[in-house]
Amino acid sequence: MDFQYKSPTFVSIVLCAILVAGMSAFNSAHSAEVKPAETQNAQPVTDCFESRIGYSSVTRVENANPKYGYPNVKCSQSTGAVLWWADPFEGTIPMGDMPEISDDTRGDFANAVVKPRQPQLMYFNMGPNGCESCHEGKTVRYPKDTKPRLIGMHQDIVENSLKLMHGRGALWCLNCHSANHRNNLIDRQGNLLSFNQPQKLCGGCHGDIYIDWRAGIHGKRIGSWATGSKKRWWVCTECHNPHTVQVARFNRLKPEPPPPLPRGMKNADYERAGEAKH
Amino acid sequence: MSEEKIIDLKDEDELRQGRRDFLKHVCTSSAAALVLTTTPSEAVDSASNPDADATVAEYFQGHFLLMSEEEKLKAIARLEKRYSAKYMKKTTVANTPAPDGVLFGYALDIGKCIGCRRCVHACVKENNQSRNDPEVQWIQVMKMPKGNIAFTADQLDKGYPEKSEFGDYGVQVGGNAYKTAGLSTEDAQNYYNDELVPDKDFFYMPVQCQQCEKPPCVKACPVRATFRDHAGVVLIDYNWCIGCRMCQLACPYHARRFNWGEPNLPAEEMNPKTHYFGNRPRMRGVMEKCTFCAQRTREGRNPACQEACPVGARKFGNLLDPNSDVRQVLATKRVFRFKEEAGTYPKFFYYIG
Repeated sequence: MDFQYKSPTFVSIVLCAILVAGMSAFNSAHSAEVKPAETQNAQPVTDCFESRIGYSSVTRVENANPKYGYPNVKCSQSTGAVLWWADPFEGTIPMGDMPEISDDTRGDFANAVVKPRQPQLMYFNMGPNGCESCHEGKTVRYPKDTKPRLIGMHQDIVENSLKLMHGRGALWCLNCHSANHRNNLIDRQGNLLSFNQPQKLCGGCHGDIYIDWRAGIHGKRIGSWATGSKKRWWVCTECHNPHTVQVARFNRLKPEPPPPLPRGMKNADYERAGEAKH
Repeated sequence: MSEEKIIDLKDEDELRQGRRDFLKHVCTSSAAALVLTTTPSEAVDSASNPDADATVAEYFQGHFLLMSEEEKLKAIARLEKRYSAKYMKKTTVANTPAPDGVLFGYALDIGKCIGCRRCVHACVKENNQSRNDPEVQWIQVMKMPKGNIAFTADQLDKGYPEKSEFGDYGVQVGGNAYKTAGLSTEDAQNYYNDELVPDKDFFYMPVQCQQCEKPPCVKACPVRATFRDHAGVVLIDYNWCIGCRMCQLACPYHARRFNWGEPNLPAEEMNPKTHYFGNRPRMRGVMEKCTFCAQRTREGRNPACQEACPVGARKFGNLLDPNSDVRQVLATKRVFRFKEEAGTYPKFFYYIG
């Protein structure tokens, strides 16, 4: 006590000296240059995919957002999956009319947008008129009925057309693809549907999933979180391939790299000790 | 100013008088002290570094919530100038207030999660974490054996106090006495490195900040650098944090990360759209954690992890809006919260879809 009353100025000066020394240390820490990281050497991945390889591809464009100098997407170095969108609505179109079902599943479709599926379909983009470049009734004649038969084409989509296992054999190509309008899908009531709106077709049978999807529970939506505001919806065929549902129901994915091990740890084998029990 | 309502006037006085007045008092003779103690080398250093004045000002910066609007703008201008110079691109530090009438909530479907870790790396790309040495990630994905989850009545009811040969003392014996009921993190693998996911007989559970309604970290913080905003998100004023790591100890979810070294963030990977409480670059010796992407969600956009999930297992929204995705999940699915017994009331829900 006595000491403090006798020399407050001295205490102040000593404390300020410490403070100034601390500030200069703080200063030098902040002005230190950014160290080059290992990841800096690697070029960013430009050929990326959304959700799964081959379902929806995106090309990285540098400086797509001039305000921040963003690329349009940032992709994983190890897998090429799109991890980050600068603009969630890039390349989207309005979802189009959606039927009203009931109060529970009326859906938040006012500002719904989707990425069109047609540019992603390989055969659709082979000719100027889409699928009808070949399937116009002359080059390839329209089939008389929708009965299953062996097809010598499109074996990359379905290897053996007699063993198309959607619905365990109950459905065949022409139950969903319109026989006479090949640029469209056809539902069970005979309505023609765009490839961009597969949910109207799929929902005809998979009603429980469709209801969840409309309510925002099943599937993915990005963009704004607020109800009624703009959202990009993922449609069925952006994640599911209807042609291989039985043979390749959920193809496994390559994961992103694991977190770094704590300093001094060589491996994480201790974690796997419990595996034997299960 | 809307954020200030969570700290009442009493606390404000306490905070103000605690640190700032002390510093003011100490430096009444600061001019003399500076002359006395500044060595020539330091004088050269501060002259050559254009950031020097800003650093001094930042040193005397108060708690962000207690600043006046003018002080806030000055603080943000300082940061924008420094980040723009350091990372060689135009950087904005936003101070968007949390929206009113909103309580942010999250729902995650552990039935759908495939453990691909895209959320983890999307978070890193968005939130300016240190990239390597140290590599900081805010989300941790646990790979757990399928037997680790049991919410059936017979499982949960096991292990009530039974009468033993010593009498009925309310001691739990048998049943679940030696095993957690509900969800157990026993044998969870955090560093799994499989060729392909999901692995058979395992399920995956990503864990990040659970944005508790009663956050133990906020209770533990001795300087109130971490607080809960009125949208329910627990945030940190990185400049006010003293790096004592009490919050890290208090958190039952291992959600907080400490910057043990100077963060190593390459300039071209830096995200220049930042928020003061969100993803602005951190310094050495401060705590950081998931903020539900404050820079995005306060402006209406979904968090980065929600957008990255390839299976749509992540749902984000307003818990006060009955039509939001999260409320739809809560209304129709089987939902649980992680470590519910800790009494933290998380706003991060797990469900089995």
